[in-house]
Amino acid sequence: MRKIKIRCHTVFKGIAEGEALVTKQPLCLYDSLDPKSGNIINRRHELFGENVSGKILVFPYGIGSSTSAATILEASRCGKAPKAIINLETEPVIAVGAVLAEKLYGQIIPIVDKPETNPIELIKKDDVVKVDANQGLIELIRTQADSLTRKKNN
Amino acid sequence: MFLTDEEQAMLNGEYGEAAEIAMSVLEKLGDIYRADRMIEVENVHIDGAAYGWIDDAGLELVERFCNSGAAFKVPATLNPSSIDFDMWREFRVTASIAKKQFRLAKAFMKMGAIPTWTCAPYQYCTNLRFGQNVAWGESNAVGFANTVVGARTERLGDLADICAAVVGKYPRFGLYLDENRRGQILFKLDQLDAQSFTCTDYGVLGFFVGSIARARVPVVDGIPKNVNNDQLKAFCTAAAVGGRVSLSHICGVTPESKTTTEACGGTKPEEKITIGINELDEIREKLNTLRGGKPDLICIGCPHCSVGELMKVAHIMKGKKVEKHIKLLIFTSGMGKTLAREMGIIDVIEKAGGKVIADTCWNFIPSEEDILMTDSVKMAWTSLRKFTDVILNNTERCINWAVGKID
Repeated sequence: MRKIKIRCHTVFKGIAEGEALVTKQPLCLYDSLDPKSGNIINRRHELFGENVSGKILVFPYGIGSSTSAATILEASRCGKAPKAIINLETEPVIAVGAVLAEKLYGQIIPIVDKPETNPIELIKKDDVVKVDANQGLIELIRTQADSLTRKKNN
Repeated sequence: MFLTDEEQAMLNGEYGEAAEIAMSVLEKLGDIYRADRMIEVENVHIDGAAYGWIDDAGLELVERFCNSGAAFKVPATLNPSSIDFDMWREFRVTASIAKKQFRLAKAFMKMGAIPTWTCAPYQYCTNLRFGQNVAWGESNAVGFANTVVGARTERLGDLADICAAVVGKYPRFGLYLDENRRGQILFKLDQLDAQSFTCTDYGVLGFFVGSIARARVPVVDGIPKNVNNDQLKAFCTAAAVGGRVSLSHICGVTPESKTTTEACGGTKPEEKITIGINELDEIREKLNTLRGGKPDLICIGCPHCSVGELMKVAHIMKGKKVEKHIKLLIFTSGMGKTLAREMGIIDVIEKAGGKVIADTCWNFIPSEEDILMTDSVKMAWTSLRKFTDVILNNTERCINWAVGKID
């Protein structure tokens, strides 16, 4: 498979690689994320029941709550934060959470937005994705379909 | 973004840990919003003052700031706490939550915070003035400061507000700048008897304006000059809930908007909307989930009641008794309650069976009730995760329901 690379804008620097968790729906972290477990607890959200911890979390944009920075910071304190965040448009309060997570807990959560092509169309759940926010680059390393074929061949 | 030598030194850690962390957060926000520089703010209202909002990580941050010897650079008022500091035991709040809120209060106050514990700080000791730069959190308070007083503030998120208080600065963007304060969409009241509007009617009006304006700055023409601060509070609160409105130009009220032309900064509005009785009825329909049901909980004071509002409540309740199957909760600030107590108002309300809760927000009061009645558009819109159904009524009708004068 040819690696897909998408240029994007850096909101918070850092590099991370992991499996993707993707939604087309906007996400209010305060309402939807239990920071102590990493679980999505909002029954009305399509990610309900999923866990964000250690994932590359891909969602279009955040929905207003003044409290979402504290949610991200608490998730980081509990070791349940996503590894990186990809948005179409990042809500600035999320960046506040990321700055504090680095300062308080030494945990870097790279955040990128304004991608050249829409990653929500391209990236599927469990695809392995690398976010290089230092260079402003999203890289699709391996698709889930790809991994399955490989397993079959082995 | 341009940083002064002092701001750069803060970022480099030369002014201690708290200033370094605070400046890192503010510099990142400035970078995201393309601010050209920092501005000095005269005071800060801290939105995230409740343990229930900022959680253990927030508590750790505040205690870390405090232990590093930091003091707030400018006067900083506090939003509601997770508990009523005097009466928390009455409400099945766990001891562990109370303990953490007390720790948070201690750290905030050691840094010099003003313990207002209210979402409506403008009703008391915040010295706001026209044109003044402040840094406030809490959407209703931000709306009031910008709309009614003509002070200038963006809407600060939790934790960023604490950072602003530590350094007394905030990046210059959004509503701090003239060009972003210009009205963009004009609302005209059409054959509405605004003179007879209650606070709840103003809330419904605000919700409509917010839901249409969304991220744009609305101009509202046709509000009578004798509108009072409680009504304006209800309007601003609901406008921030219906959309994300942090500034409305109310012609003849907002200091920078004597006329619609002035409100739009000399330009023409992009869009004109007429508001009649149908528009407001549609909003009422949307907010009421029940027709003809009976409430088991009635809440007043979202945002916190002013002393004037407490007086009105007491006036209606005097000599009456809250129905057995109904609980009546009235929320205000500690200051409001102290003043009202001295005036004999709290006594009247309590004798009639109502409960006046201070320092905290209905969000943090555990409840088993199913059907809520409230006079607040904000509470009606945001409380459905707590209650099965919500009925919106004006204050007088809510209180009359409580004392069995309506069925």
